[in-house]
Amino acid sequence: MFSYTFHWNQALKALPQMLDGALVTLQVALLSMVIGLALALALTACRLSGNRILGSFATAWVEIARNTPALFQIYMAHFGLGNFGIHLSPYTALLAGIAFNNAGYLAENFRGALKAIPDTQTRAGRSLGMTSVQAFRYIVLPQMLRIAFLPVTNQMVWAILMTSLGVTVGMNTDLAGITQELNARSFRTFEFFAIAAVIYYVIAKAVTLAARALAARMFRY
Amino acid sequence: MFNTALTLSDLGFLLQGALMTLAVTAVSVTAGTILGVIFGVVRNQVGPYWAVPLTFVLDVFRSVPLLIQLVLGNAFQSIAKLGWPPFTTSCVVLSLYTAAYCTEIVRGGISSVPPTTRRAARSLGMTWWQDMRYIVAPLATRVSLPSWIGLTLGVMKDSALVLWLGLIELLRASQVLVTRLQEPLLILMICGAIYFLISFPIARLGGYLEKRWSND
Amino acid sequence: MKTSVLALGLVAAAALTSQAHADKLDDVIGSGTLRCAVVLDFPPMGSRDENNNPIGFDVDYCNDLAKALGVTAEIVETPFPERIPALMSGRVDVGVASTSDTLERAKTVGMTVPYFAFEMAVTANDKSGVKSFEDMKGKVVGATAGTFEAIALEKQVKEWGAGEFRPYQTQADVFLALSQGQIDATVSTSTVAQANVKGGKFAGISVVGKAPFDTDYVALFTNREEYGFINFLNLFINQQVRTGRYAELYEKWVGGELPDLTAKGVYR
Repeated sequence: MFSYTFHWNQALKALPQMLDGALVTLQVALLSMVIGLALALALTACRLSGNRILGSFATAWVEIARNTPALFQIYMAHFGLGNFGIHLSPYTALLAGIAFNNAGYLAENFRGALKAIPDTQTRAGRSLGMTSVQAFRYIVLPQMLRIAFLPVTNQMVWAILMTSLGVTVGMNTDLAGITQELNARSFRTFEFFAIAAVIYYVIAKAVTLAARALAARMFRY
Repeated sequence: MFNTALTLSDLGFLLQGALMTLAVTAVSVTAGTILGVIFGVVRNQVGPYWAVPLTFVLDVFRSVPLLIQLVLGNAFQSIAKLGWPPFTTSCVVLSLYTAAYCTEIVRGGISSVPPTTRRAARSLGMTWWQDMRYIVAPLATRVSLPSWIGLTLGVMKDSALVLWLGLIELLRASQVLVTRLQEPLLILMICGAIYFLISFPIARLGGYLEKRWSND
Repeated sequence: MKTSVLALGLVAAAALTSQAHADKLDDVIGSGTLRCAVVLDFPPMGSRDENNNPIGFDVDYCNDLAKALGVTAEIVETPFPERIPALMSGRVDVGVASTSDTLERAKTVGMTVPYFAFEMAVTANDKSGVKSFEDMKGKVVGATAGTFEAIALEKQVKEWGAGEFRPYQTQADVFLALSQGQIDATVSTSTVAQANVKGGKFAGISVVGKAPFDTDYVALFTNREEYGFINFLNLFINQQVRTGRYAELYEKWVGGELPDLTAKGVYR
């Protein structure tokens, strides 16, 4: 019926290679989340600081990250910066692009979370003799992270999915890169990408479940 | 800096790309939303246990990179000899992708309507359909609309990936021009600006609605 | 998902009911159009002019083929990775897309005899200090993913045990990366290298020499089981050479010494 016969056994031979790629994918995603979280906290601080320049810098970052495609951001990190003579390797460009994107979305999540924490709590803290930093650190921050935990988990899944865009800037060690290379070599598109889809699904599920378990432990009262 | 070989006809080419982006988005979001509403209502109606297969399939669409989905979808239609042009393939894959997220939004919206309200409606003699139409739909829409706008914008941005199938949308149009003119920075900036101009006002509208509707 | 199962069923039904169908050669002649997959970021084989219309050796070749079949040609732009799905889904009839005739690929599609042959050339960023193929050892090099030269170059980099190899998805991105200095050198077909360097759009890159890889023979391709069509294509390629049209097109788009399309001492 179809003129196409599946060559699964050929494709499965490449499985170990693809699993190696999956590790790289996970690594990039985790790193981009760590960097993204740090940047997002910094951006949130900028927005809260009341300094107009810092505030608008943070707002610009958040709006650009949220209103342009991730693919565009990664392409820009490699070829756009390359125009200024700043050379990021595919790995770094991918990491930078996703971290930039993560930071923007996470900062927006934090802002939403902050709004949910009443001002009165900070004031109560201050009147107990806490400094404003202490009040933020011990009263606001823990609650903020708790409220923002679910969106952060979602962003982590997004980060994993975004790593697949690295192929456009010459990344060939992550799961999508390896899959694409195998595909270009043999033209066996369906088999290789189907296997990749399964691996991505498993990673994304594993991360979600791990995050849920973590949340259950951390936020037990 | 503005000493460029970019001509008006090239700008027209970029705008054509932008129109393609909008067309793909419009078709996918429309189809995806219809599917999403159906799936969302079904999921709510049959309960979590019976909805497992549907939930699982939709979950797959949310856990596999869109790029992989597009390539797979295209390979599938090619193996099945459906002979779809890239536009159709892109729209089908993006619609299912949209539907997967939209289902969650719809489900969230429906479950935000207090059961007591719905029971009150039913005890007034409303049919299931009337209850859905006059009680649930208006209330759920209010809750869901901001997320739905977010989803629409997300799909608009994600649609950049259809360039992989050879569809000349905004980002691909920019790449074509970069290839010919070798002015990557300028062209990419214009491309980014167009995305931003489409997305930002709608995002603001979503934020505004969320703020206005959350206070009452 | 259910819709796709349904679609599958419909296709199955359609395929079963139309058993006694004509072959692809008949289909093309009957439909009056020949749809060619052409890669358009691969000058001088395929590119776009100022009005963003397709031009190039492959575009002309497709037009010639259409003329020989007595039909009109339709150029379908396909990025490199998209060539095969386009063919498989019946969106194009034939690939005129500078496709290397590797055995690996011949397991999936039907390849004709070579219609063009590429020499491989090294192009380097002037600042990199790369002056020959050997100089690339230990440098960052790149090529278009999955192509003949990319596979050979990646193997070479592994053999050298130093440096880094980066595959890009399009030829255009390779040269963009090269001119920006993201990579120090690339191996590409000499035609592409010449076209890009001569085009003058990239500052600071030059062709520095030949790469000692085998000649890259490229073939037209169509579905594996379409013997009738493949036969026609083989004869067409033969005629293009015999009538001098091949030389004419070569002069128009590339220029210089005409590459030989036969391998010495063996039949195909």
